[in-house]
Amino acid sequence: MTRRRAALLLPAAAVWAVVAWLLWRSSLSAYHLPHLDEHALFPADALHHAQHFSSFERLFWLGRTVAQLVVLGLFARYGVRWMRESAAGPIGTGMLLGMIGFAFVWAAELPFSVLNIWWRHHYGLSGSYAQATIGNWFALGVQFVLLCVALAIVMGLARARWIGERWWLLAAPVFVGLRVLLAFVSPWLLGGTALHARYVTTLERTEHVHVPVRVLSGFSEPNAFATGLGASRRVFLWKPIVEPPFTPRMDRFVLAHELGHLAHNHIWRSIGWYALFAFPLAYLLAVTTRRRGGIGVPGAVPLAIFVYVVLQIVALPLQNVVTRHLEAEADWSALRATHDPGAGRQLFRLFGSETLDDPSPPWWDYVFLENHPTLMQRIEMTRYYATTVRGHVHP
Amino acid sequence: MHNPHPVRLVVEDDYRRSRLTVFFRLLLAIPHFIWFFLWTVWVVITGFVNWLISIFTGRPPSWFHGVMCGYVRYQAHLAAYLSLVADPYPGFMGEAGTYPVDVQLPEEPVTQRRWTIGIRLVLFIPALLVSSTLGGLTGGNLGSSRGKKRNATGGGTLLLACAFLGWFASLARGRMPKGLRDAGAYAIGYTAQATAYLLLVTDRYPNADPTEMLLAVTDRPPRHPVRVAGDPYDLRRSRVTVFFRLLLALPHILWLVLWGIIAFLVAIVQWFVTLFSGTPARPLHRFISAYIRYRLHVAAYLMLVANPFPGFTGAPGVYPLDLEVEGPQRQNRWKTGFRLLLAIPAFIVDTALSGSLFAAAVLTWFYALVKGSAPWGLRNLSAYALRYDAQTNAYLYLVTDVYPHASPLEGDSTEA
Repeated sequence: MTRRRAALLLPAAAVWAVVAWLLWRSSLSAYHLPHLDEHALFPADALHHAQHFSSFERLFWLGRTVAQLVVLGLFARYGVRWMRESAAGPIGTGMLLGMIGFAFVWAAELPFSVLNIWWRHHYGLSGSYAQATIGNWFALGVQFVLLCVALAIVMGLARARWIGERWWLLAAPVFVGLRVLLAFVSPWLLGGTALHARYVTTLERTEHVHVPVRVLSGFSEPNAFATGLGASRRVFLWKPIVEPPFTPRMDRFVLAHELGHLAHNHIWRSIGWYALFAFPLAYLLAVTTRRRGGIGVPGAVPLAIFVYVVLQIVALPLQNVVTRHLEAEADWSALRATHDPGAGRQLFRLFGSETLDDPSPPWWDYVFLENHPTLMQRIEMTRYYATTVRGHVHP
Repeated sequence: MHNPHPVRLVVEDDYRRSRLTVFFRLLLAIPHFIWFFLWTVWVVITGFVNWLISIFTGRPPSWFHGVMCGYVRYQAHLAAYLSLVADPYPGFMGEAGTYPVDVQLPEEPVTQRRWTIGIRLVLFIPALLVSSTLGGLTGGNLGSSRGKKRNATGGGTLLLACAFLGWFASLARGRMPKGLRDAGAYAIGYTAQATAYLLLVTDRYPNADPTEMLLAVTDRPPRHPVRVAGDPYDLRRSRVTVFFRLLLALPHILWLVLWGIIAFLVAIVQWFVTLFSGTPARPLHRFISAYIRYRLHVAAYLMLVANPFPGFTGAPGVYPLDLEVEGPQRQNRWKTGFRLLLAIPAFIVDTALSGSLFAAAVLTWFYALVKGSAPWGLRNLSAYALRYDAQTNAYLYLVTDVYPHASPLEGDSTEA
């Protein structure tokens, strides 16, 4: 590494670290969760069910990931041969190669998707074979369009003479801008029906967030999410979570959690983290594709896609650390807003039996797959709240 | 090059039509409908016996062959009469050489592979699909109880469109337009080949190539300012891109929609310019031409008429199936003023052809996945449909005031 490059990289790393520290800061001060015994919290058969179900789910993920890497690795090596199937110029050819790469990935993942549905049915969970096959086929089409947009931006910039090899410096902000735009626009596209419950107004007052709360139909699993920026901020609850066996008390906790995300600007902070990852990722893409003439050359696209996916997998543990941190803060926010750790505990126990999530998964699952705290950690946090802020605990 | 198909179309029509018989054509054909129905019942029965015998002998008996040939010819005569592809009242026996639109058939029965005879009905399905979009074989031969309307007209979408438009044109001018006549004759020719295949007159699969069907029997139309250029033998297809073709084309489809919105607005401006100055503005002409060319490239890619992924700019000379567009010429103001209304007949034919295009694309998809190439006939049928679509759009968007030519033959000497 040249001195000049080191001289540039060091301040950049310092800036990165400072921004990461700023984004990491949380309303949740340092805490030590009490250790609880999962066998005392979950019935033995439910625990066994969840663990057995999750163990195969992990295997499916592992299979899918390995298949994806093998296919993209081979495609990086041999994918260039499909260049002859294009009359579209360099950028269009790059798009074609990118799409073919992901088409192969789709084909390789298909057996795992079908197996996964079979496994879910085996455990009485919902899942549609049509969705896993034909539905995924259409999803692949959407993926193709997004991929083409991304490649058009990246290759267009990389081919621009005035920026050349430093395309990544401009590409990263462009993608961050697109992410902001998507976050702003998407809530309006989702629809849903308004949730009319007494606790909505109370919670909004407590969390100092006043946003529409909407219920989305068409889902078979309990879930909720907060999204949007500024005027488009919304909380969406999937219908199953507002229906039995979930109680209004639990729903109140869920809503408080989602409002907590908005109250602590988690959407903006997620975008900030995205930006922090986007710059080094784009830089590494630029470096790795240099040997094939740079990303502006269509022949480099198969390699670029492979590198991109590998980097995504490598960055997964870091990203999960970040999201778990944000989710923990939202949990804490919900506890402070509701003063109802009992509702939280019941909610998370119910999640265990409804979604068959393993309450305490193995370490590698935790590192690569868990973007929320585990169910045990979340229950432990309710206990932590109950013991440290005892005076506010509801009976 | 291919060997000529044993079932050949003969066209000796002079385009002239008697207005009186044109006006009453459907009523005049009533005796033929009855006769055709009876003959169809007879052919269903004898055809089954013929099939059973042929499975064992590998060759249809001469008597049965004669019956089937007569039926194929009679069907062609009747379809030609009904769709105004020919003018004289046809005979009832389907005799050879007695009608201006005729079909030459093998005089003697030919030995055929037994297994193809055994599963002839299954093998016939793709031809039926194409035929039903061109000549409406389903109405005529495969059970007249299904779809009485189709049976009554003897036509599928293209033939029906030609008949419908030809009726008005013939009444007005006393002549059948060449484009419609040729398109109708092509549909009749393909249907005859398909029927002959089904009825074991030949074991040669119907060939949808319009050039081979028509070039020997009719003249090319005049040179059109909007032409499709491409190698008709460009048949190699990549199986991977064929399998994912619809998804791979998605970015193009989105881009085409966006471009289409702009092109529509530009066309409105161009309409005013052409109406007042008499000549389209060159920059707008260039822009719209690029749009129409891009539309052709995308459709060719999507419908498997060409193999490579097209570019996004509609640039000329870079795609195997390309559009040649002449520069802006002076246009008739009347034609410009009423362009939208005038384009309606072209849209009817275009819609009819898009059915054939779709059927050809579906069949080509399966074929190309297996063989890694496109079938020659279907490729060229699709090229014809795309060329007509491009000419229709060029007419509508004021690129030219020359009306789209419905003839399956490309004008001048350029082949699609």
